[in-house]
Amino acid sequence: MSQLLRSYLTVAMFGAIGVLLAALLLAISALVRPNRPNADKSKVYESGVDPIGDGWSQSQIRYYVFALLFVIFDVETVFIFPWATQLERYAGFGLLEMGIFVFVLLLGLVYAWRKGVLRWV
Amino acid sequence: MLSTLLASDVVAPFSSPKIDYHALAPELVLAGVIVAVLLADLFLEESKKWVLSTIAGFGLLAAFIPIVTLAVSGHRARSMFGGAYVVDTYSLLVKGIFLLAGYVVVLLSQNYLEEGDYYQGEYYFLLLSSILGMVMMGSSRDLVTIFVSLEFLSIPAYMLAAWRKRDLKSNEAGTKYYLLGVFASAVMLYGMSLLYGDTGTTILKGIGAKLQNGSMSPVAVLGIVFVIIGFAFKVSAVPFHNWAPDTYQGAPTPITAFLSVASKAAGFVALINLIYVAFPHGGDVFQPMIGVMAASTMTLGNVMALRQTNIVRMLAYSSISQGGFILMPLAVAGGKSSGNALTAIVTYLAVYAATNLGLFAVIIAVSRKTRSGEVSSWGGLFSYAPLLGVLATAFLASLAGIPPLGGWVAKFGAFRAVITSGTNWGYALAIVGAVNSVIAFGYYGSLMREIWMKPVPDGDTAPIRTPSSLNAALMICGGATLALGVVPGIILRFSDIIKL
Amino acid sequence: MNAVMIAIIEPQPIWYLMLSALLFSIGAFGVLVRRNPLIMFMCIELMLNAVNLSFVAFSRIWGDIGGQSTVFFVLVVAAAEVVVGLGIIVSILRRKPGATADDISLMKG
Repeated sequence: MSQLLRSYLTVAMFGAIGVLLAALLLAISALVRPNRPNADKSKVYESGVDPIGDGWSQSQIRYYVFALLFVIFDVETVFIFPWATQLERYAGFGLLEMGIFVFVLLLGLVYAWRKGVLRWV
Repeated sequence: MLSTLLASDVVAPFSSPKIDYHALAPELVLAGVIVAVLLADLFLEESKKWVLSTIAGFGLLAAFIPIVTLAVSGHRARSMFGGAYVVDTYSLLVKGIFLLAGYVVVLLSQNYLEEGDYYQGEYYFLLLSSILGMVMMGSSRDLVTIFVSLEFLSIPAYMLAAWRKRDLKSNEAGTKYYLLGVFASAVMLYGMSLLYGDTGTTILKGIGAKLQNGSMSPVAVLGIVFVIIGFAFKVSAVPFHNWAPDTYQGAPTPITAFLSVASKAAGFVALINLIYVAFPHGGDVFQPMIGVMAASTMTLGNVMALRQTNIVRMLAYSSISQGGFILMPLAVAGGKSSGNALTAIVTYLAVYAATNLGLFAVIIAVSRKTRSGEVSSWGGLFSYAPLLGVLATAFLASLAGIPPLGGWVAKFGAFRAVITSGTNWGYALAIVGAVNSVIAFGYYGSLMREIWMKPVPDGDTAPIRTPSSLNAALMICGGATLALGVVPGIILRFSDIIKL
Repeated sequence: MNAVMIAIIEPQPIWYLMLSALLFSIGAFGVLVRRNPLIMFMCIELMLNAVNLSFVAFSRIWGDIGGQSTVFFVLVVAAAEVVVGLGIIVSILRRKPGATADDISLMKG
């Protein structure tokens, strides 16, 4: 059997045990618990408050700016991770280069801050 | 993916790469100016925003200084990052063209922005970023560097094209430019991945060494074709030109000037880098392709330009057809007249930049009075604005290739390159080019007729008041157009220093 | 017999290249056929990711790290493009809700 299939076998066994365990627990609780259905119980749970409106609702367009900011800063970390794994090897030079990189990112953040994009609502 | 990077801790200790700060000085200065513009915009009051254009203009001139010092310090090529970034005389020349073109665009923008109440800080920030991308493109000798420079120059340009947020036409210009631009870079990237797959390196020189004559694999051929198609979008070559007229018409006029000159030139510079360094032996693959594109680009651009009534749109098609002439020498690159072709393209780019920017300066000046983009609004321009009329005629004549202006020298070089190649279809291309030069007189001539012979519309002969920045732009472009034509020494000197 | 079958299942780099070519074609087809700017844009993202897959597969074939680091740059540039593109597309959809690529053509000729 190839190495690849053997490692997949581990994954498959792990998954099967997970599913089995969950099914077993649910089955036991279904057998033991009393069964008294009513309308309130099948309502959507929203932190104890009565739910209002449809499950699908439009979110404010202004949130999309946050999403965009998040995407750009999130992806830039792709350059920081490899550097962090080799921190000692790159020593001072790497630190300086990464400092410049983070400084440029910071400029973007300062820009967003001064333009008032970061204010929540 | 990370695991391979993580597993590399067995290799030799790291030694920091040697960085030649003198060679990188233009880029570093420009980067510093970009940061300064951004910060100044954030912390300046609205009434003092005019400082920004001054910073941007002087910043571009400051970045020009190290180019001069590098040029006088010897003709040695300075190679960095394992050959991915090379500063040689050719790259210095194109960098100089980009910086000066950028400076003229800043001059053109000044009053346009102040009167139009646009976002000045962001505008100059993005404009400078785009110029930095172009300057980097001049030195890029690696697939990744080319890709990063290309995106660096394109992404700000997408935003600049959509700058007039409240105007649907500008939105449309931005959307079209963006969607097609990104599509083109995806196609180009796929080609790059195939080239990398065939040769195992991203350094252009390494690719050139692996791709030898006659033994090219289908993967490499596909890679070359895809990369060239990707750049054909950028230089708006037929059949990948559809975005250009709409984008040029919808974008703010200074940005149209910028896109039609600098952005296009950057695309050609990238093509030169790729073809001369990476595919010198791929002539069989790219020559027919570029030849057909060049012929159809100049023909279609000309035919469409004849039908236009809007000046900017006419110039858009004219710039497409000029792009065909610039492509023409590339179609014989890799053969006997390779060196001639390279000189011809760079000369053409320099002349075209000066001439086209000058013509756009005239358009901006005239539309300050007429508020119209129609050809008929230029009627009788000479009678009430003689200087503008003469300059516009000179720029049109240069575009048409009439001696003794720069455009004539440029066209001459392009024709010489294809004819000295000695191939049958070098001759064929020269014939198509000659026919098209004649057709082009049609629309350049009709504009001249408006300027000199037609009556003034509405009889409004009040003189045009041009602000000093616009005057400066007109003088720079006019001087350059004339000098490149009548002082042949400049061009001859080009051929000595342009080598790849 | 068993061993042979399992050896066939072992994925080869060429499979990834074929998948990447398929994804790229699907994306390119989508850009040319669909008319909603957002969907065209998603198709372009698909093409870019096909390129990433192909770079990584080639990198594996050559045992060279260059292709993998290229992917980093492509990823980041693609993110920057997403942000700019969404900005432009949202600004046009705000002024013209439900616009398709055919509606966005005021200019002709």
